[in-house]
Amino acid sequence: MNLKFTLLLAWYYGIRTIARGPSYIIAALSTPLALLFLVYVLSGGALVKYALVGGFIAIVASVALQSSGDAAFFRLQLRIQDLYVASSVSPSDYMIGLTLSYLMFSLPGIALYGILGVIYHLFSLSAILMLILVLALLVLATSSISFIISSSIKHIRNIWGIAGILSVLMTILPPTYYPYESIKRVFLYILSITPVTPAAVVAQYSFGLSPALPVELYVLIGETIIFFAMARFLTRWREK
Amino acid sequence: MIEVIDLVKRYSEKVTALKGISFQADKRVTSIIGRNGAGKTTLLRILSTQLLPTSGSVRINGIDIIKRPDEIRNKIVSIPQEASPIGVLTAFEQVKMYLVGRRFSFMEATREANRALDEIGLNEFKNTPTDTLSGGMKRKVFVAMALASNAEIVFLDEPTTGLDPLSRMEVWSAIRQIDSHIILTTHYMEEAQELSEEVFLVETGKIIEQGTVDNLLKRFDGMVRAETTSPCDNCIKVSNTYIRYISKDKVQDYVEKGFTVKSVNLDDLFISKGVYLEP
Repeated sequence: MNLKFTLLLAWYYGIRTIARGPSYIIAALSTPLALLFLVYVLSGGALVKYALVGGFIAIVASVALQSSGDAAFFRLQLRIQDLYVASSVSPSDYMIGLTLSYLMFSLPGIALYGILGVIYHLFSLSAILMLILVLALLVLATSSISFIISSSIKHIRNIWGIAGILSVLMTILPPTYYPYESIKRVFLYILSITPVTPAAVVAQYSFGLSPALPVELYVLIGETIIFFAMARFLTRWREK
Repeated sequence: MIEVIDLVKRYSEKVTALKGISFQADKRVTSIIGRNGAGKTTLLRILSTQLLPTSGSVRINGIDIIKRPDEIRNKIVSIPQEASPIGVLTAFEQVKMYLVGRRFSFMEATREANRALDEIGLNEFKNTPTDTLSGGMKRKVFVAMALASNAEIVFLDEPTTGLDPLSRMEVWSAIRQIDSHIILTTHYMEEAQELSEEVFLVETGKIIEQGTVDNLLKRFDGMVRAETTSPCDNCIKVSNTYIRYISKDKVQDYVEKGFTVKSVNLDDLFISKGVYLEP
C-alpha cells in the first residue's frame, strides 16, 4: 500500500478543498442540521439526543455517498482515474485516498455535532470510543458502495440522481433520527441491508438511548468487509 | 521497444475497434494518426494498461503487459484524451500528488514537481487552482507530470485536441522537453509531422501505413497537390473538393485550368490511398 499517496490525496482533496471551498461543509451539514431542527420541533425536544447521534451517522454516510459523484466525475469527465491506472497507484490506494478525503469533508460536521453532544451531556468515554469505531466502519462501507456505483455507471449525468436517491434512502429511512425500536423488527432487518442501519442501532445503544442489539454490530462489520471486498475486486480498474 | 501482435478489441458484436493490429515501435517519438473513431484511443488505452484487448499480445521492453501490467506501470505515464486537472487543486499539488503516487518521496516529488513546472513555463501559475487556467495551461500540467516522472515511455492521447493554435504550439514545445519514448495519438497531421520520427496511420481499426515521415512522403517527391471544386478525371473526391497529384513542372498548366496547388503533407497519405498518382 502507498500510504504517502493516500494521505497526500486526503490532505489535498480533503483539507485544502475545504479551505478553498467552504460551501462543501455547508452542503454536508445542511440536511442533518435541517432534520435535527425538525426533530427538535416535532418531538418537543424529546428525540433530540437520537437526532444528534443520528446526525453523526448521517453526515458521514451522506458525504461518502455523495462522493460517488466526485469519483464518477474523476473517472468519466476528468479522466483522472485512467491517469492513475497507468501508474503504480493501486485501486486500494486510490479508493482509500478518496475515502479519507471525504472523511475530511465530514470532520467539521462531526465537530459541530460534538459540541451539541457536549451541550446535551451525551458523551461518555465508552460511547465516544464506540462512535469512532462505528463511524470508521461506516465511512469504509459507504465509500466502498460509492466506488462500486461510480465505477459502474457509463454516463456522468446518471450519477447525481443516483447519489441523491441513495443518500435519502440510506440516511433518512434508517433509524438515524428516530429510536430503532419504533419500527417493527422485520423492517429493521430489511433496512439493515444498508450499513447505516446497523451503525445507527449500535450508536443508539452505545449512548444508552435504546436497548442493546449486539447482532447489528456484527452486521455492520460483515457489511463493511463485504462492500470493501466488492469495491476492491469487482470495480473496473483496468477496463474490459 | 513496443511489440504489438495481432491486437483485436471487440466492444460488441457490431463494434470492433481494432482488427488485428501488429507493429513494432522503437523511435523516440511515434505518432498514431487517424480520424475520429479509427481506433487510436483504444490502441493507446490497451498499450498503457487501462483496457484489456479481446485478443493479441503487447510486450513493452520485453514485458507482457496484458498478463503482467503491474511490472510496467511504474515505467510508463499515460495522459488520457481530454484529461483535465482537478479544478480546486493547484498545478503543483497535482503534479506532486501524481509523483508521490509513483512512489517518489515527498522531498523528491516537491523538487521534481517544481523543476518540471518551471521548465514547462508554469512557474508563475503553479500555486493557482487549475480551474482558473487556460486550456493550454491545463494540458501543460499533465505534460509536467510526464516530464517530472522520468518514465521510460509516455503515452499522450490527442494532447492538443480542442486547443487554439498558440496553445497547441506551447504544448508541442512542452512535449519536446520530455526525454522519454513518446507514443502519441493525433488527428492533426501537422502535429505528427512536427513531433514524430515515425508514424502509424490507422483507419477503421487497421494500420494502413507506417514509417518515418520522410519515407512516407518520399512517394510524393517532386509532386504537389492540385485541388478544384469541379469534377475531374482521375481525381479523388474529398468532401466538395477534387484532388489529384501532379508533378511540379505542371503547376502552371493546372493553375490555368483553375486548380489550387498546395504542397504535400501527411494528409495526402490518407487522401492518396488507392489513388493513381500522376508520374
